[in-house]
Amino acid sequence: MGGAELGQIFVNALLLSGILALVALGFSLVWGIMNIVNLAHGAFIVLGAYITFFLHELLGIDPFLSIPVAMLALFTLGWGIQRGLINQVIRAPLLATFLLTFGLELLIVNLINFFFKADLRSVTTAYSGTGFTLGTVRIPYIRLGALAVSLVLVAGLAWYLKATRTGRAIRATGMDLDAARLTGVKVATIYAATFAIGAGMAGAAGSLLSMMVPFDPTLGGGYTQRAFAICVLGGLGNVANVVIGAAIFAFVDVFVGARLPSLSRAVTFAILVLLLILRPQGVAGKRV
Amino acid sequence: MKKAAAIAGFLALLALLVALPRLVSSYKLLTYTRFLVLALMAQGWNFIGGYTGYAAFGNVAYFGIGAYTTGLLMIGKWHVPFFPALAAGALLSALVAILLGLPILRLKGHYFAIATLGVAEALSQVADTWDSVTEGSTGIDLPLKTEGEFFYYTALALVTCGLALTWAFSRSKLGNGCVAIREDQDAARMLGINTTLFKVIAYALSAVFAALAGGLTAYQNIHVTPGDFFRIDYTLQMIIATIIGGAGTVLGPVLGAAVYQLLSTYVWSKFLELHPTVLGLIIVLFIVFLPRGLMTVLGSKRQRGERPFRASDLLANVRAHRVT
Repeated sequence: MGGAELGQIFVNALLLSGILALVALGFSLVWGIMNIVNLAHGAFIVLGAYITFFLHELLGIDPFLSIPVAMLALFTLGWGIQRGLINQVIRAPLLATFLLTFGLELLIVNLINFFFKADLRSVTTAYSGTGFTLGTVRIPYIRLGALAVSLVLVAGLAWYLKATRTGRAIRATGMDLDAARLTGVKVATIYAATFAIGAGMAGAAGSLLSMMVPFDPTLGGGYTQRAFAICVLGGLGNVANVVIGAAIFAFVDVFVGARLPSLSRAVTFAILVLLLILRPQGVAGKRV
Repeated sequence: MKKAAAIAGFLALLALLVALPRLVSSYKLLTYTRFLVLALMAQGWNFIGGYTGYAAFGNVAYFGIGAYTTGLLMIGKWHVPFFPALAAGALLSALVAILLGLPILRLKGHYFAIATLGVAEALSQVADTWDSVTEGSTGIDLPLKTEGEFFYYTALALVTCGLALTWAFSRSKLGNGCVAIREDQDAARMLGINTTLFKVIAYALSAVFAALAGGLTAYQNIHVTPGDFFRIDYTLQMIIATIIGGAGTVLGPVLGAAVYQLLSTYVWSKFLELHPTVLGLIIVLFIVFLPRGLMTVLGSKRQRGERPFRASDLLANVRAHRVT
């Protein structure tokens, strides 16, 4: 592996970390606050991708401009799903919510499949496939833009959770449900908001992914798994952990992919399992 | 008196199941065999996921190991008969489960789930790339056997043994110890339960059942590929069946498997294109209204002599688990 190749791999991993952080952000928030592993997260990502695709295809809206639309749509859907379904079983054993979100994933993905067919689609704009070269390293505009959008959203959520009243209520509810309720927090509303924000973030990630990779209704499953892995790697608890987890995952993925393409999934998962055994609280997480 | 009626009912059902191949077409028999194989897997998952409360999400790994071991022993230079090969697959799965279980059973909750999922993914890729033994993604071909009755009766025998074993387990020190671990692991340890040993045994038991199901399915399907035998769908099906029926109960997994197979077959025939959508909807409805499974409708309440289950209890279930 020469210096130039190493540089390209490094930059690729860096660009990948941004979007992966965004993919995992909403997933981590829902898991950390509500103790729900949301297997429908990938389905939300797919919905975001389709919203961007159709806004671009039918109305000619620039994919980057459709991100707020996707976020708002998924935010609303997430709110409804949480109030209508998830909230009904949130205190049932862990597997109940796990299976409920699995059922939702099945439902959403196959409805998309039914209405829009399994065709492979992609959002192609005038600037797709273009980029600039820095030394020997090639940087595509879309990936750079995706990194920028991801960073803004990640930082925005971190600020929101830290500085606003609702954000603090969300964190308080995650720490201690009963104590939060005693201080006057409306827990059901906060849960709905948390889930809706998580879905909205997934929508944004889907919008960005629709420009970066060709997609079909099954795009999401792989990203749910990645989000899970990133949360485990980084540990739950705050936004910074997600970023660290995403960076580690991206670097392992890109480097292993460059050296052992046929075994990349096995190696990535082997590292994950090993890490789980050695540091169950995550690389950056604290032992509780 | 009640107990005698229950036993008589059970024996009648068993007699019906034994006579079934005479009564239905060979195509229908295939559906019943599939139900029994699913019941077998669910029974296995019930040990670790139901009684011990560990959300194992990689049991398809043992399904795959069972399928490949059985298959590879039956072909090639060994030509081992089916049943010894099946037993060897179960044994190997138990061994792998013990070796893997020792480190990963230290993890809890979602972390354990993803570790098992990772193991299954990794094994799938190993089967895919280890060409010299598994023939990679082309897969292996087993000797042909077409008598559907053979598979049906083997599965029926295994499920019946599974029921007996689960019943004995639920009344043993081991089973009670596992339930104690599920309810409070630290308290269980303080009571002197060797938690590691109990968890590993429960996990190995679940692996044995999955391997038996895998070996049987391999022989029935003739062709074994990593794509077909390491599919996460199998893991999900066994979990869904157990949850629908009632996790941590003796009859739950079998009941759940029957309901799942019935619904799945019915939905297949009515809504071919919307099949997964309807299946997803069914799962959602079951979880919302009966998060603890069908056995809560049939089992515990009646035993304690309380009033029978009413439809309004479905709403009571919802009220008990939601947050306002």
